[in-house]
Amino acid sequence: MKFLVKKHRSDIAFHDGAGARLITWMTGLMVFFITLALTANLALSSITKSWMSGLSDSVTVEISPPPPAAGSDSLTADQKKDFDGRVEKILWLSKQHPSVSSGRRLSEDDIRTLIEPWLGGKIPSDLPLPALVELKLTPEANLQQLQKDIRNLVPGANIDNHQDTLDDIGRLIGTVRAFLLLLTGVITLLAVVAIAGVIRSKLAIHRQEVETLHFLGAEDDYIAGQFRRHALRGTILGALGGIGASLLTLVIIGSVTRTIDSAIMPQVQLMPVQWILLFLLPLLAGAVLAHVTAQVTVMRTLAKMP
Amino acid sequence: MSLVKFSSVGLRYSTGPEVLHDINFELKQGSFHFLTGPSGAGKTSLLKLLYLGQRPTRGIITMFGKDTALLERSRLPALRRQIGVVFQDFRLMPHLSAFDNVSLPLRISGMGEAAIKKNVTELLEWVGLGDKMNYRPPTLSGGEQQRIAVARAVIGRPKLVLADEPTGNIDQDIGMKLLHLFEELNRHGTTVLIATHDDEMVRRFNYPQLRLENGLLTPAAPGKAKAA
Repeated sequence: MKFLVKKHRSDIAFHDGAGARLITWMTGLMVFFITLALTANLALSSITKSWMSGLSDSVTVEISPPPPAAGSDSLTADQKKDFDGRVEKILWLSKQHPSVSSGRRLSEDDIRTLIEPWLGGKIPSDLPLPALVELKLTPEANLQQLQKDIRNLVPGANIDNHQDTLDDIGRLIGTVRAFLLLLTGVITLLAVVAIAGVIRSKLAIHRQEVETLHFLGAEDDYIAGQFRRHALRGTILGALGGIGASLLTLVIIGSVTRTIDSAIMPQVQLMPVQWILLFLLPLLAGAVLAHVTAQVTVMRTLAKMP
Repeated sequence: MSLVKFSSVGLRYSTGPEVLHDINFELKQGSFHFLTGPSGAGKTSLLKLLYLGQRPTRGIITMFGKDTALLERSRLPALRRQIGVVFQDFRLMPHLSAFDNVSLPLRISGMGEAAIKKNVTELLEWVGLGDKMNYRPPTLSGGEQQRIAVARAVIGRPKLVLADEPTGNIDQDIGMKLLHLFEELNRHGTTVLIATHDDEMVRRFNYPQLRLENGLLTPAAPGKAKAA
């Protein structure tokens, strides 16, 4: 960062014209998107892990209530006894079966909490709800055997091992991450094209000064160094602006999503090293990009000069 | 020993007509020549070939014993550092001080700042700009800018000094002083070629001439050669 404080003497009279601002803006935009894309990737990874770990080591057994008798909305006492007996069998199995470490019947309140967001309103209290038993699996669980045993014990029990949900989540998250990657690539490409364009126009504007340096015996790399430093200065300013803007955006997004149900959107906690990487990586990427683009563009143009 | 040798050199820009035809001459080490001729005769084009700012369309140019056509591009900077050029339009960096402009060839060659300060200060004082070292060219007169250009050309003690109308914008006293600087360099072995249409100066200093007319080099006018 020393070069930002100490103004280097440049042999070429670069002025902070529109070209220099274009480098700053393009890099700022690039760093902004890269930072957000990286954050989104980290957040998605964290959310996925949270969802996956919650789903992949358990199965849910659903036992549907028998249909109420004609003319009635609720179950008869016998029906209720039979229904509870079937649930008890599953709970009994959970204590015996080698593939299950524990079993828990979800309370009616839990079931209502799970269902209500999807139905969009309060569920009538007398509506018969299915019973849900969550079985935590042991690490060496044999899922097929467990499914067979459950069906033998309680015919008609529906077993959900969440595989479809896991697959759907995996596909959705994969698509979002690919899109973010593509977006980052496009923005980076645009930044490279813009920086190269600005450098080429600067070379045309300062052609006589470049020629003079050549005639004084300057090597191509000496001249390219002048352009590299010029591009780097604009890039660093842009990158810092981009990081500042992305930080502000993240704070706003954080405050908006804080009110979302944690079951749907778990809180994302990043480690300090992840935060440092998050902001250092785009800054370094911008600096390297400007350095390489300026170097390649200038060296190619100089190679055509006498 | 021949420092520069042109053999049947011709030059044309793009698809235009040939501006230099069948140029043949030699500059011996330690010689002093004037390059004369009317405006548009091709003096600046000939100088361009000499400071490797242009490749000839035909013919062979040998500089410091090397055929320039066979030289790799990466070896040109080292060769150019042996040539000091005073451009007709000076080509000074407008944003740099007189000191920094004169320092450029030394910085490019990688000299240390302490040595640069000593050499540049000494030379700027010699050309009468000791009190204007921190001035930028646009704030100086044409004559002062010309002296900076000359100082920049000679600061690296080149083997060959090329000057395109170096006394064009300055008064006679300063012009004479600059010519004496070139003579001084020449006495130390530097080969000097000055393009000029100042007949009075050519007569006064009476060095051999290379005369260009319509792109052709005519036989040199009589004169004394210093070390040819």
